[in-house]
Amino acid sequence: MTNGIEKLALRPIGRRAALFGLAGVAGTLSMPWIARAQAETIRIGFPTPLTGPFAAEANDQVRSAQLAVKLANDKGGIAGRKVELLVRDDKLNAGEAATRTLELIEKDKVHAVVGALSSAVQLAVNEVTRARSMLYISISQSDTINEIKDFSPYTFHEALNPTMTTAVVAKHSFKKGSKVAYLVADYAYGHEMLRGFKRAAKEIGAQTVSEILHPFGAADYSTFIPTILSSGADILCICNFGRDQANSIKQAVDFGVKDQMKIVVPVLLHNQRLAVDPEVFEGVTGGANYYWGLEETVPSAKAFNDAFRAMYKGTIPTDYGAYGYTGVASLLMAIEKAGGTEPQKVIAALEALKYDIAKGEQSYRKCDHQSMQSVLVLESKAKSAMKSDADLFKIVAAEPASESVLRTCSELGFKS
Amino acid sequence: MSVIRNAELVPAPARRSFATLFSNVSRWRVPLSILALCILPWVLPSQALAVNVLIYGLVAVGYNLLFGYTGLLSFGHAAFFGAGAYATGIAIGAFGVHWFIAMLIGVLISGLLATVMGVLAIRTRGIYFSMVTLALAQLVYYAALQASSWTGGENGLRGFTVSTLHLPGFSVNFLDPLVKYYAIMIVVAAALWFVSRVLNSPFGAVIEAIRENETRARACGYDVERTKLLSFILSGILCGLAGTLSAMHLSIVPLDSLHYHTSGLIVMMTLLGGAGSFFGPFIGALAFLSMEDIFSLWTSNWQLIVGVIFILFVLYLPKGIWGTLITWGKSR
Repeated sequence: MTNGIEKLALRPIGRRAALFGLAGVAGTLSMPWIARAQAETIRIGFPTPLTGPFAAEANDQVRSAQLAVKLANDKGGIAGRKVELLVRDDKLNAGEAATRTLELIEKDKVHAVVGALSSAVQLAVNEVTRARSMLYISISQSDTINEIKDFSPYTFHEALNPTMTTAVVAKHSFKKGSKVAYLVADYAYGHEMLRGFKRAAKEIGAQTVSEILHPFGAADYSTFIPTILSSGADILCICNFGRDQANSIKQAVDFGVKDQMKIVVPVLLHNQRLAVDPEVFEGVTGGANYYWGLEETVPSAKAFNDAFRAMYKGTIPTDYGAYGYTGVASLLMAIEKAGGTEPQKVIAALEALKYDIAKGEQSYRKCDHQSMQSVLVLESKAKSAMKSDADLFKIVAAEPASESVLRTCSELGFKS
Repeated sequence: MSVIRNAELVPAPARRSFATLFSNVSRWRVPLSILALCILPWVLPSQALAVNVLIYGLVAVGYNLLFGYTGLLSFGHAAFFGAGAYATGIAIGAFGVHWFIAMLIGVLISGLLATVMGVLAIRTRGIYFSMVTLALAQLVYYAALQASSWTGGENGLRGFTVSTLHLPGFSVNFLDPLVKYYAIMIVVAAALWFVSRVLNSPFGAVIEAIRENETRARACGYDVERTKLLSFILSGILCGLAGTLSAMHLSIVPLDSLHYHTSGLIVMMTLLGGAGSFFGPFIGALAFLSMEDIFSLWTSNWQLIVGVIFILFVLYLPKGIWGTLITWGKSR
């Protein structure tokens, strides 16, 4: 026995055997690569705050994004390739988001990143993707990401931005001579919304009578409300997001603010309206990127809602959730047009893309890669006017896509 | 340490092998630690996580110098971590300074900040010391929030990505995850050697003496205030160094790096690994970050699992992972 092994070990390896052996090894090693080149799955990284105060909105985004991926796979994939969504919890923390994005790029080898739900977090993802020439579709409101200092040729901003949101909301709720009081969350989102509203108010001729900052995540607003009531305002503009919105409006209504003035918010959130009674939000006006009621007039919204209902047992998509769908679907359209995931080709395809997938015509502006899209103005319905539990808002206006509500390219620092 | 030396004096035959092993491990702790760090990126799920372990491990080791060895519970170490990160980022982004100089600036600024905070906080003791450090760190947080033209405010500091490390004679691609890991590891290894050297010096013995019995240390003629201050500054500098590495790694400085949550995280990592042991805090950072990374992939309720594990540790292994291992090894 040992003798045999020794013989085998001592037998000289011939030249031909060695060549065959090497060829065999090389062939085996390269085979998966050949197979991979033919039909490599398109991987899309999706960092989003699954835990923390925006978890409700984040989970809606994930569900919508998964719908977009499912629809693509159902029709046989994109350019013959399957699509996969890799969801990661960024914990609403910029450092965490940067780490997760690094992992997605370095370990999971994603072809593009979509996601993030806060100004600071999306700027962190933007910084990481920019340095690594990685495609990124950001789906949360931010003005900063449009400015030249943070511009990345690989980044496209699918969400509305505070400037366009507030311009449209102000147009439909402020009048010449209106007296406006602002209650603002003291962080980037609130500040950017306030700046947008004041910019719009100046053009319309409305005046600011009071400006109050409240801490992010505040539970008690009672100390701010007497100042607002005594300011003589006829409009109270509340610039905050997530749970803060429901809390502040509820307390303002309890103090009788609505008897004296109209409440206006930059973004009227579906989930926050659901969190409290309809009486609280009744008559509150605000902007939105999407509302399911759009299906009565827009065919693509109907198709989106139907697909969503089919996948999620009759539930309907929400405003921030829709970003997950439009962000991923528009990216996949561009990848299909580009015939693959080569970043430069996808960028060219995205810049040229005209898409109508959920809310009417959309396209990316060339200079800052901002998605030009319709902005809705919604008014919260009274309980008596609601036809069903999901019938929350009346669409006051649907301002069509237009560059006039955006800051100009030169204003943002781009050479026109 | 001192117990290990005692074990050497008692040559009970059953103890000998373990005692020798432990004294060897302790003698070679820096080379062994560096060896462990070398294989880290190959065993962890991702290199980005491995770099984070390096950075937070260094923070915890630096913090442990003050908490585990000097016996001062600070709740404000995020200030040094963040200050180092911001100073490096601003030096590169706003002034175009070479990355190496920028790192030195980061360490220097955090050292200065530690001196100021140290002078103010050292006068108090116990819970008051913790409160003063927490309050001072919050001051730094709000200063960074308000000075948004310098720090980017709420959005964090951006625009200073270092993609290539230029060194005399050659340059390396810092975007490559492995290159980045080993580049950062060299700095962390040097810092670990430095900490080990400090702990083995007479100064190291004095801070432990202060932790054990401050009155007696004073009676022996040691200047307790100055020793505490020096320990505070050294600890702050090490955290600042970790901050500059974090800025280089993530190419952003989030405002959260100055938040008291970060201070709390540092304390938790140190406790989890074992305060008062050389390598314990590193193990703590490794355990904490890996748990977070792995469980958050499984479920969005990962905080529940991490919380339960943490409770179990506090109840059954109060000396932390490494501290328990050491005690167990010695009792053999």
